Amino acid sequence: MYRKQVRRRRAILVLLVVAALVLLSTQFSESEGGPLHSMQRAVASVFGPLEEGTTRALKPARDLINWVDETFNARGENSDLRSELQELRTQLAEAQSAEGENRQLRELLGLDRQGTLAGYTPVTARVIGRSPTVWYSTVTIDKGSSAGVKVNDPVVTGDGLAGRIADVTRGTAVVTLITDDRSAVSARVLPDGPEGVAEPEVGDPSDLLLDFIDRSQPIHRGQILVTAGWSNGAISSAFPPGIPIGKVSDTSVGDQQPYQRVHVNPYADIRGLDFVQVATEGPRRPGVPG
Amino acid sequence: MIVTWRIRLRIALIVVVTIVLQISFFSYLSFFGTTPNVVPLMVVSLGLLGGGMIGAVCGFATGLLLDSALLQTLGVSSLVLLGAGYLAGRYREGAEVSNSLIPPILAGVLTTAAAAGFAAIQLMLGVQTTVSLLVLREIFIQGLLAVILTIPIYPLIRRALRPALVDDLSALGARSPIARGASRAGRARGRRIRRVAGVS
Repeated sequence: MYRKQVRRRRAILVLLVVAALVLLSTQFSESEGGPLHSMQRAVASVFGPLEEGTTRALKPARDLINWVDETFNARGENSDLRSELQELRTQLAEAQSAEGENRQLRELLGLDRQGTLAGYTPVTARVIGRSPTVWYSTVTIDKGSSAGVKVNDPVVTGDGLAGRIADVTRGTAVVTLITDDRSAVSARVLPDGPEGVAEPEVGDPSDLLLDFIDRSQPIHRGQILVTAGWSNGAISSAFPPGIPIGKVSDTSVGDQQPYQRVHVNPYADIRGLDFVQVATEGPRRPGVPG
Repeated sequence: MIVTWRIRLRIALIVVVTIVLQISFFSYLSFFGTTPNVVPLMVVSLGLLGGGMIGAVCGFATGLLLDSALLQTLGVSSLVLLGAGYLAGRYREGAEVSNSLIPPILAGVLTTAAAAGFAAIQLMLGVQTTVSLLVLREIFIQGLLAVILTIPIYPLIRRALRPALVDDLSALGARSPIARGASRAGRARGRRIRRVAGVS
């Protein structure tokens, strides 16, 4: 009797392990519209309203707890911001004169002065869920296909680029943030710096890495990184050009390396997202499914 | 643990509530730059209260729901949580949970192991990253936070499943089937002895 019970327990355990491995490998080989993905979307759409209600109800408690943590960080941040303010004042003066020149040149070229997301329909969404690990930097938002949100639509905050839509159900969508391991954004260093691909460093939401930049290209701390939005006709970046991503925090060059690594602080507060804007119904970008 | 349909329903409710709270509340909190993860400690608690099989099944189901709700790669969380739940249950089956410090310590150790296992699977699946100090710090702090969070959460789960716990039946004023049987046998033996001795 006891042996039979032990055998049964072992069989269940082996069955569960095998089921987990089968799920893992099947999902990798399956297409986006496959049965496992559809099942996932069905579960996600059931959890969506629950997450939304809980997020709203528990926001005051969440803010109170985070306030304690933020108070500790605020001291150090204060002195950093003071020195940054000095730098920005100088940059503002330069930017204002550049803006005047820019306006005149645009007028000369006959171009309309448009925003970065001109041609897109912005959909404002509330963040209702978040992945608990550093391995998946994703958030769930309360707008889905019924609001016109599609896979690969760019997602921005008031500060800058946040990510892009990775999956959509009718009432919710999952945003892969720029700090997710699967994220790679083609980016350009302003004003006339090189282009590269900004990728995250897993485990650190405050750092992006612009790698393989020729070491002869001078890049300084404080320079701004924006989306490059390149296109070669057949394939293109999912993001339109000119969306601010972050600013250069550090550059490092190894002795034997022909390239330099540029560290970038994202503008968007990735850990504290509450609302985001999805740029929907934009111009078709070749090679970008959605 | 005596598992009835009502208890199964309660366990399912605990799993769903924990997942919703994790996604919508705990994942927004930040302590020392790390997000607390209550899912592994809930699975460990269920394993400690119900044994290896309940721990493993709950771990698998929780992982499946979590990966589905977040549209993550299916199977990764299931595999890791299944292991955590089973190990917690095996501990309970082999040793007495006599000390109130055992659940938090075990939850801390198994949450750390689960986070490390999760990282190892991600690396095997081809995530391009170095095993940096940041990742190690995240794993370590998640374990520490699990120790602290188990102190209030384990008694809550225990309370929710109290009618099913054989150890707790006496505290409820009820007697376990074994205790009832033993007492009945004791009374019968007493009657037999009194009859043999001629005492009425």
